[in-house]
Parts: sequence; structure tokens; C-alpha cells
Amino acid sequence: MRKFLAVIKREYIQRVRTKFFVVMTVMGPVMMLLFTVVPSYLARIKAGGPTRIAVVDESAKLYDRFRDALMTERGEDEADSQQSAPAPQINSNQQERMKRTAKFSEQGYTLERVDRAGQSLEDIKLQLSERVRKSELDAYVIIPSDILTNGKAQFYSRNTGDIFTRETVAGRLSIAVRDVRLSEQHVPPNVVKELNRKVTLSSTKVNARGEEQDSGGGFNVVFGFGFIIYVTTLLYGQMILGAVIEEKETRIAEILFSSIRSFPLLMGKLVGVSLVALTQLGIWSLAFVLFALYGVGAVAAQGVPISLPHIPAMMFVYFGLYFLLGYFLYATIYALVGSMVTTAQEGGQLSTPVVMLLVGGLFLAFPVIRSPNSSLAFWASMFPFFAPITMLVRIVTETPPLWQIALSLAIGFATAVGLIWLASRIYRVGMLMTGKKASIPEVWRWVRQA
Amino acid sequence: MEDTKPTLVLEHVTKRYGEFTAVNDLSLQVRPGRVFGLIGPNGAGKTTTIRMIVNIIVPDSGRIELFGQQMTTALQDRIGYLPEERGLYKKMKVGEQLRFFAELKGLRGGEAGERIDSWLRRLQLSDWKEKRTKELSKGMQQKVQFITAVIHNPDLVILDEPFSGLDPVNVDLMKETILEQRAAGKTIILSTHQMEIAEKLCDDVCMINRAQKVLDGRLREIRRSFSRNAVALQFNGGDGLLNDPALVANIRQNGDDFEILLVPGANPQTLLKRLVDAGTAVTKFELVEPRLHDIFIEKVREVA
Repeated sequence: MRKFLAVIKREYIQRVRTKFFVVMTVMGPVMMLLFTVVPSYLARIKAGGPTRIAVVDESAKLYDRFRDALMTERGEDEADSQQSAPAPQINSNQQERMKRTAKFSEQGYTLERVDRAGQSLEDIKLQLSERVRKSELDAYVIIPSDILTNGKAQFYSRNTGDIFTRETVAGRLSIAVRDVRLSEQHVPPNVVKELNRKVTLSSTKVNARGEEQDSGGGFNVVFGFGFIIYVTTLLYGQMILGAVIEEKETRIAEILFSSIRSFPLLMGKLVGVSLVALTQLGIWSLAFVLFALYGVGAVAAQGVPISLPHIPAMMFVYFGLYFLLGYFLYATIYALVGSMVTTAQEGGQLSTPVVMLLVGGLFLAFPVIRSPNSSLAFWASMFPFFAPITMLVRIVTETPPLWQIALSLAIGFATAVGLIWLASRIYRVGMLMTGKKASIPEVWRWVRQA
Repeated sequence: MEDTKPTLVLEHVTKRYGEFTAVNDLSLQVRPGRVFGLIGPNGAGKTTTIRMIVNIIVPDSGRIELFGQQMTTALQDRIGYLPEERGLYKKMKVGEQLRFFAELKGLRGGEAGERIDSWLRRLQLSDWKEKRTKELSKGMQQKVQFITAVIHNPDLVILDEPFSGLDPVNVDLMKETILEQRAAGKTIILSTHQMEIAEKLCDDVCMINRAQKVLDGRLREIRRSFSRNAVALQFNGGDGLLNDPALVANIRQNGDDFEILLVPGANPQTLLKRLVDAGTAVTKFELVEPRLHDIFIEKVREVA
């Protein structure tokens, strides 16, 4: 037992101290920040400050309303949006986020009212165009006096590629025109406000027990879980591959085997590296939770639209379990491959089928997400080599009955134990073989001999 | 000495790899407190034999008994093993590395720490304790590897080519250390190609060639009983006299010194008489025991 612990300790300490581990561990949360906060900031903070727009209002009725609509999205809606702002909707999908982002970007406008002061419209346009050319202005709008009946206005801009601004101006101007039309029909302001109120959809998942619960996110989140399993399994599996090949190449194996049996040695190695992985995932989770608890609020308080998927605590447990399952299955195969080859290069070639198997699970995640209760999804999540990704994906989308989860874990871990047993026999012989790659019949002989 | 129970007994041990027989019906005994030399040409089966002794591989047939017991994994902790091919974790610090291997042999942390320090001091490596192994020279790594073999104070120390990569100063240091181990009552199995060193260190020798034992016994007796006489000779004139295949098997000349190996059954007196009769001035004529080197080459040729 002490030897087993010594192996675990060595694997753990040596790996956790590497630059690679430190960099990866720090980069995880940094990347998370990059992908969540930064786009929001970028969308909000436009390069070169707010878009400056001059407005020539020949109708003399629209400027104020247009300004209000542009500055506050829609004047009337402000109360509503403030209500929902402090708790950013958790399961917002990409589309909603885009809209949110857009909403805040619209704050980046400064409006300037241009008085004709007796000059002809052509003169004004010349002056404004000149200012746009000099970059004193970004765009200008001519609101003709007959806009209420005709519904046409002109937009001049230096950057015609900025469709976003053009669409916004058109949209806000439409709102202003409609409001003026309504008030000219003597519709009271509170009715106008009522008429303009937006519909919001809140999505709620109904599970098998008929209870309502937060759906835990859309496709991105679900697929994200599968993808993290895939990446980490690959990463740590290949770490085992490298470690085994190193020990074989440097002939450390000979000393190891003269001191410890192959099963505790292989097991210690797998457990040690799994602890490294769990440490890393733990730090990432902690960073995520801390960010969700404090960071999101702080960022949102600055007016940056941000939303994190809401992840129930149980998901972390499932994630941990299925990560361990995937890791032990694939890392064991990698250890096997490592003991059969002589160089890292050969190891890379021979492990291609392993990666294919893992990728297979990732591909299966797509149909499984679409219909998580189909028989395909069921069998995919019972097959041990696919289960880590497919079952986790099922749990996130539409949690299957507990017996299915338990069964998939049982099948998976039983397979892992069998595989480790098999691997430790091959490992023992393979590690002492040098000079050539082992063939399959040879390996089979090792299993029977050992 | 003869009466004490042997540390290690191999009885009719055979190991095959497919069609190839690596060790064939090998029997030998290693007695406690002695240095046992396991010699033989490359590919003779030495490493396979050693691997079976340290229980890395299991013989196909035959019996291995260590300290009077059938080989088990528990007994592995009483063996120290320095393999021929060096195996150290390149990125680990020397101190940590030694601690890991000590723990693998079942040593506790605190005890390991003291022994590591004392061994590093003994082999003049104290300054390197916190260095990564890959920063060490080949010879230093060799010494670190040696420490991994003795750190747990084993009763049987198996050293496979312990002198490779060492400079003369360190060869002497290593020799001293091996003799210290023997003085402390350890049994040592030494496998080497360096016959001069084996000659100086070994009490007993077993030679393997082509998977089989070709020679076994006390080194002194082997040398004495070796069927040929060797003569160390210094003389002037009479050059052609030595070229008689009926009398002389091998001549080695170092300046004025000749070392002559006679053919089996030849009488050295015949050679001396012939030299004297030819009127050469013999300044040195000494019957010497054949060197292990010569015995080695002779035995290898015999089989070939």
C-alpha cells in the first residue's frame, strides 16, 4: 500500500508542479473570461467612442422621441428592462445574448440637433457631409416634414458597412414615428406605453416528474459538457501515454518492476494523474462558481450584458463521475499502447483508433442532444466508451431515470477494472520489451503467459 | 563459509522467448557475504538471469530460492538492483528521485531522508541533491542509480555493469563502496565485462555463454585449476622460439614483457628448457595464474 501511495504521490506532485499544468490551470478560467466577458465588452465599447449622429428634423415633432428611443432602447420599456436586469436570465441562448448585447451597444450614440436657421436643406447637407468627411460626425439623418404620412427619411453615413447603426436608426425612427402618429390620434401616453410593451419568453423545462426546473442551458451548454469531457480525457490520456513511453524508453520500468507489482504500479499511475486532472477541473469549477457568484454581478453592474448558464450542483458530481469513467477507460488504453510501442511517434500512430473512439462519442452527442430518450441515445449511453460523453449529455438535456445512470456507470467502471487488469498484464511484459513494436498475437500471448 | 546456507539458489532454471532460449537449465548458488561475479559475453543470458532473480520475469521451469524461500514479491524489498540500462526520471530532482525509489522499496519517509543524505555524502553528490537529474553528468547519474539500489539496505545487491560511464576516480570509489557492502555482510552479484575489476572484486564467479553455464566456482580455484599454464616472460634473443603451436597457444607482448599461454597439458619446463638451450638470456620466468580475461576468451572460443 505504501508503494502504491508512493506512485500516486510521485505522479501527482511531479505533474502539478510542471509549467504545463500551471499554465493550463490558469488559462482555463482566463479563456472562460475571454469567451464570456470580453465579447460583451467589445460589443459595448465601440472603438472611437459613441457614434455621433446629427439629426435634421424638418417635421419638428420627432427629434425628442427619436432621441429617447435611441438612448433608452425605447423609452417606455425602461422600467421593464430594469426589473430583469439584476438577475441575468440564466438559460439565455445565443440569440438572446446577441440582442442583449445589441441593446447596450445602442447606448453608444450621441445625437445632435441641427437647426436649419434659414439655410437651405442642400446647404445643411453640404455642411454636414463636410463634417462627416472630417470625422467630426459619423452620420446624419434627414427627417422630412412629411415623414408621418410618407414614412421616408434619409440616412447619410461615412461607413455604409455599419449596417448595425443604420438598422438601429431605422428601427428607432419607426418607433418615434409610430408614437407621434398614435398621439396625433389622441391615444393617451399610458395606452401608448401599454401598446408598446414587449413580450418576453421565459423558458422552463418540464421533467419526467412533472416538476419545473431550470433547463440548465441550451445546446451550447450541453455540448460544452461533452466537449470538456472529450478534451480532458484526451489530454490526460495522452499524459499517461507519454509517461509510460518515458518509463519504457529510459528503462525505469525495470527498476519499478523489481520493486512493485504491475497492477498497483499501473493503478497508482492512473490514480495519480486522475487526481491531477481533478485538481485542475476543481480549480476550474471553483473559478466558474466564484465568477458566477461575484464576477457576473460585478461585470453586469458595469452594464456589460453577461449571462452564465445555471448549473445545478448535482451536475458537477455527474461531470466528475463521467470524467473519471472516461479517463480511466481511455487512459488505460493509452497505457497499453504506451507499453507496446518503442517511441512516442509510434505511440501517436497506434493511439489513433483510440482517439477515433473518443471522437465517435462526441459525434453521437449530436443526435443524443436532439432526442435524448431515443433508443440510440440509450444504447450509446450504455456503451462504456461512449457513455462519458453521451450519458452526460443526456443528463444535461433531459435527465434519464436514475437506474439508467447507475447502470451506465456500473457497466463503465466494470469495463475499466477489467481493462486495467488486462493492461497490467500486458504492461508488465511490454515494458521490458525493447527494439520493436509488439504485434497483436504477441500481446495476446503475453496476456496468457503473465 | 562453505557451510552457511546460500543466499540464492537457482535450480535448473530455463527461460524461453518463443523459439529462443535465453537461459537453459541454469543452476547456481550464491553464498552470503561474498561478491559473486556473473560474467559472459553479450547476449549470453546474464540480464535474463538477473531479471528472474529480481522477479521481474518468471522462469518457464526450474526453481529460484532466495534467503531459503521461494521467490515472492515481498522478498523483492530485500534485493537492491542496479540494472545495466540506467533508468532515472530525468526531470525529477535527485533527492526526490531517491526518496521515491526508497518508498517503492517500502522505506518510510523520515528514515529515507537520513539515508539519502548519508549516501549522497558518501558518493560526493550532496551538492546535487536539489538539481534535476538531467543536469547531472553520466557518471553522477550512475552514482545516483547506485544509491537507488542500496538505499533500502538490502541483503542482496545486484549490480549490472556498475562501472560503466565512471572515471577512474569514481571507479575506485565504487569499488570501495562495493567492498564496504560486502564487509557489512551483504551478498553482492556483480555482472560486468570489465574482467580486471571482476578479478579484483569477485570471490566467486559464474560464467554463462549461449544460455548455459560454462564455469562456476571460487575465482581462485578456477584460476588455479584452469588447465593451461600461463607464463610471464622476459628474455633477449631467440624470437622464433615461441612460435610453436604444439606448445604455445597465445602470446601477448607488452614492450619487453611477454605473457604466454601454453596449450593444454604442456609443461612450462619444456618452454624454459628450450629458451635456455637456445642461449637466450631469460631475465624473468614466472608461472602465473591465468587472468580472468584469458579464461573468458578461451571459454567463449571453446563453444564457438
